[in-house]
Amino acid sequence: MKKELTRSEFLRRMALLSGGVGLGISGIPGQAYGTLPTGLSASVSGGNVLVIIQLAGGNDGLNTVIPAENDTYFAKRPDISIKKVDALALKGGMYLHPSMTGIKTLYDQGNVSIIQNVGYANPNRSHFRATDIWNTGSDANVVLEEGWAARYLAEKYPGYPISMPLHPMAVQLGSVESLLFQSDVGRYGTVFEDPNLFYQLVSGTLADDEIPPATLAGDELAFLKQISSASIQYSTVIRDTALKGANSVSYPATNLAKQLGIVAKLISGGLETPVYLCTIGGFDTHANQLTQHANLWKQISDAVSAFQNDLKAQNKAEKVTLMTFSEFGRRVNQNGTTGTDHGTAAPMFVIGNTVRGGLIGANPDLINLDANGDLKASFDYRQIYSTILTDHLGLTSSSTSTLFNKTFDRLPIYINSPLIAEKGVRMTLLDPAPNPAFGQVRIQFAVFEAMKVELALYNLVGEKIGLIYTGDVLSGTFTFNFEISTFPAGTYLVSMVSSTGDRISKRLIIVN
Amino acid sequence: MPVWNVQNVGHLLSRTLFGYSKNDLSVAQGYGTFSDLLDQAIVKDVALPAAPNVWVNTVPAASQTTSGETDAWYREFNYWWFKLMQKEGLNMREKMVLFFHNHFSNERNKVVYPQNMYAQNVLFRKYAFGNFKQLVKEISIDPSMLIYLDGNNSRGAAPNENYARELMELFTMGIGNYTENDIKQAAKVLSGWQVSGLTATFVASRWYTDASVTVLGKTAKFDLNSLIDHIFAQKATAEFICRKLYQEFVYYKPNEAFVVQMAAVLRSNNYELKPLLKFLFTSDEFFTPAYIGSKIKNPTELMVGATKLLELPTPDYINLYEMSKLLQMQLFQPPNVAGWPGQREWISSTTYSYRGGFTDSLITGKRFNGVAVTGKLVPVTYAQTFMNSEKAVEFVDDVSTLFLAFPITAKKKSFLLDTLLGGTIVKNWSTYLPGANVNLQQFFKAVMRLSEFQLC
Repeated sequence: MKKELTRSEFLRRMALLSGGVGLGISGIPGQAYGTLPTGLSASVSGGNVLVIIQLAGGNDGLNTVIPAENDTYFAKRPDISIKKVDALALKGGMYLHPSMTGIKTLYDQGNVSIIQNVGYANPNRSHFRATDIWNTGSDANVVLEEGWAARYLAEKYPGYPISMPLHPMAVQLGSVESLLFQSDVGRYGTVFEDPNLFYQLVSGTLADDEIPPATLAGDELAFLKQISSASIQYSTVIRDTALKGANSVSYPATNLAKQLGIVAKLISGGLETPVYLCTIGGFDTHANQLTQHANLWKQISDAVSAFQNDLKAQNKAEKVTLMTFSEFGRRVNQNGTTGTDHGTAAPMFVIGNTVRGGLIGANPDLINLDANGDLKASFDYRQIYSTILTDHLGLTSSSTSTLFNKTFDRLPIYINSPLIAEKGVRMTLLDPAPNPAFGQVRIQFAVFEAMKVELALYNLVGEKIGLIYTGDVLSGTFTFNFEISTFPAGTYLVSMVSSTGDRISKRLIIVN
Repeated sequence: MPVWNVQNVGHLLSRTLFGYSKNDLSVAQGYGTFSDLLDQAIVKDVALPAAPNVWVNTVPAASQTTSGETDAWYREFNYWWFKLMQKEGLNMREKMVLFFHNHFSNERNKVVYPQNMYAQNVLFRKYAFGNFKQLVKEISIDPSMLIYLDGNNSRGAAPNENYARELMELFTMGIGNYTENDIKQAAKVLSGWQVSGLTATFVASRWYTDASVTVLGKTAKFDLNSLIDHIFAQKATAEFICRKLYQEFVYYKPNEAFVVQMAAVLRSNNYELKPLLKFLFTSDEFFTPAYIGSKIKNPTELMVGATKLLELPTPDYINLYEMSKLLQMQLFQPPNVAGWPGQREWISSTTYSYRGGFTDSLITGKRFNGVAVTGKLVPVTYAQTFMNSEKAVEFVDDVSTLFLAFPITAKKKSFLLDTLLGGTIVKNWSTYLPGANVNLQQFFKAVMRLSEFQLC
């Protein structure tokens, strides 16, 4: 599996052939090749950004998105459960942690997709191995040495490390570079805590374009020089972009909020970096977890809400998706020290203007557990990664499959993500969004075989008062933005009928 | 048998010590054989140091955190340890203490009281060259560890699995050598302990009541002692700790065949570490030329080593403490229970730049943020301790050989020479020139700014 030596030797030779442009010293623009790299599709607009928040330590999913109407939850967690009256209602019996008011507001605006029970087969309960699995996108029994984001970036920047794009390929707020951005040709991430300080620090670094010998120590030296070259190259553009950018809202005084504030400023200033990583730790709640877990989610919720509002105010929100992940969820049963031990599946949050919003997947099954007393996953975590790569970052489906060495079914996370057929279902009509709505409403449906359909708006006495769409459709997902400003405020029904005899209706409240 | 020459002696010192000065190197060369150098200096038992202060015996109390005393004590504790490292001479005990601190990683954020952390540090020093199995037994009921991995208050009826898992995964056998059920059962055996102040007590009524449990294929009414013995009877255990020692002291990608040899030595010596260390540091494997200069210095090695190399008599330990945080190796605050992963993980765009800022600070007397650093280098005086200080070309050669484990190219050497000369010519160079002080400052900064300086 390790191709490290051969590939780095290959690069060494390439660098020699290219006249000593060793290990990415000189800045050749990343987009110099005129056409898109082969792995990127043109259907998703360029310049989209993914911001990842890592929740280090293993987030307790059941106390984050809470089954607060499920008696088993209370029976298994007599001392650490959160009551329905305290929690923030989503739908279908699921609730957000009481401290997540900011995220709840975004959820109500349709900006939060929550995928329930995410994990993978044969889950690992070691912090370190599990973190590596999530960072590399591997199966539980396969050890990969390259981050999944690094593999995406290798596709996007095929010239690296022979040539380096003008803007950083990935930015991590922090100090220690995550495996997420590491690959066997080098590091894709530029890691810093503060743009100005970073610039100052780098100013004393010596440029050095010698190519080290192919020895064990030479390999380490080449690595060090690659990092120093990247620092020299990127510290200036990062500082300049941060100066050009701005924050339009004030951020809470927490470390995560500071990180997200810098990301927003860099996006605002026009940095072309496609992937950012922020980190918050402290989730390993083996003992006395209630207060700590509440504090952590308050920090995340407040920071994310400031970030999202900032981007919206600066008209950048269409380009940006934020995703959370943690190495595992926690045991369903509480332990004897009012905490929870390492578990398995947990929910993931995907947040942004272009997500469809809502809960995806069934609520956690607290009875049918694995042999260890842990939740069984309903989705593989790479389904979320794959969906983001194709529907947000514009990687082709085939490149996404190559990246994970496997094809994962996409999930309906984004407005542009195809809906998935459930067993025995020929068509699906989603809830109108937003709801209540004014001005315009998004109507989305999918058919899983060719048919004739009619979508129309009805009032509560059953009169058809508006036609949304009628015609023959082939299998696929369809979206309409329907003008509603002429209708008086009130409750209506959106109905979909088909030539196959199916009928679905959804309630719509208009508040013009 | 490895060849006794200056390069091999330097390699041994650079891996077993926190760097060395030219005087350390010549003293070491005086021993004549690796066996004598090890027995009489490197792995010799030396007297235990006095405690940093009386707070080490003060019973922990919440008021100490609110008053800021614990912060002040941790600082004092840090400075104390830096000083032990700086004054270690040719003895590797402190390097082993740091190895154990990293292996049995505890974070002050959770442990809170430096008194508990200090007691653990004393335990590591006691076993630096001692019996690893006995150390595991004692660390399992060490108050700091009980607090850190939630053994404190874990009860047999509903045990907390945290310590049992890390005991197997990180401290003894390594991942893949046990099952989730082994963890659950071992957690019962490890329950029953409570920390109160500076001590841990076993409360029998909080222990497990099952007639027996099955751990790693054996069913018994295990207690702490028999559980650890059983873990040490597993083949994986000796190999796991030997692999980690190999990665720390030889090369970060282990040679598995050699690790197996090390494990055999450790087992045949009933887990005594001193014979293993002697075996390792006299082996041909350790002195394989390809490994020389292949280790990326950890921040403590970099910082303490630079002060030794520059022969600073009174380095500014506040500077080391503050920079240790930025370089991501704050002592008593490893990132998590796995400790610092080491090698390339030390280096990111930020930490690489801070490393240069640190070495600069020893020469300029100013930290990157302008804060004054005391005890800085007096460049002319230091330069004149080199025999060739008045011969520019030879001086550059001598300094680069001493400072850099990785040989530099002629091109780089000529860059260093130009920096030293600063416009004058070789023939006219003297440390008595009016501008020599500034030239030497630039020169030492430049040598330590080379990527090669990060390797040892």
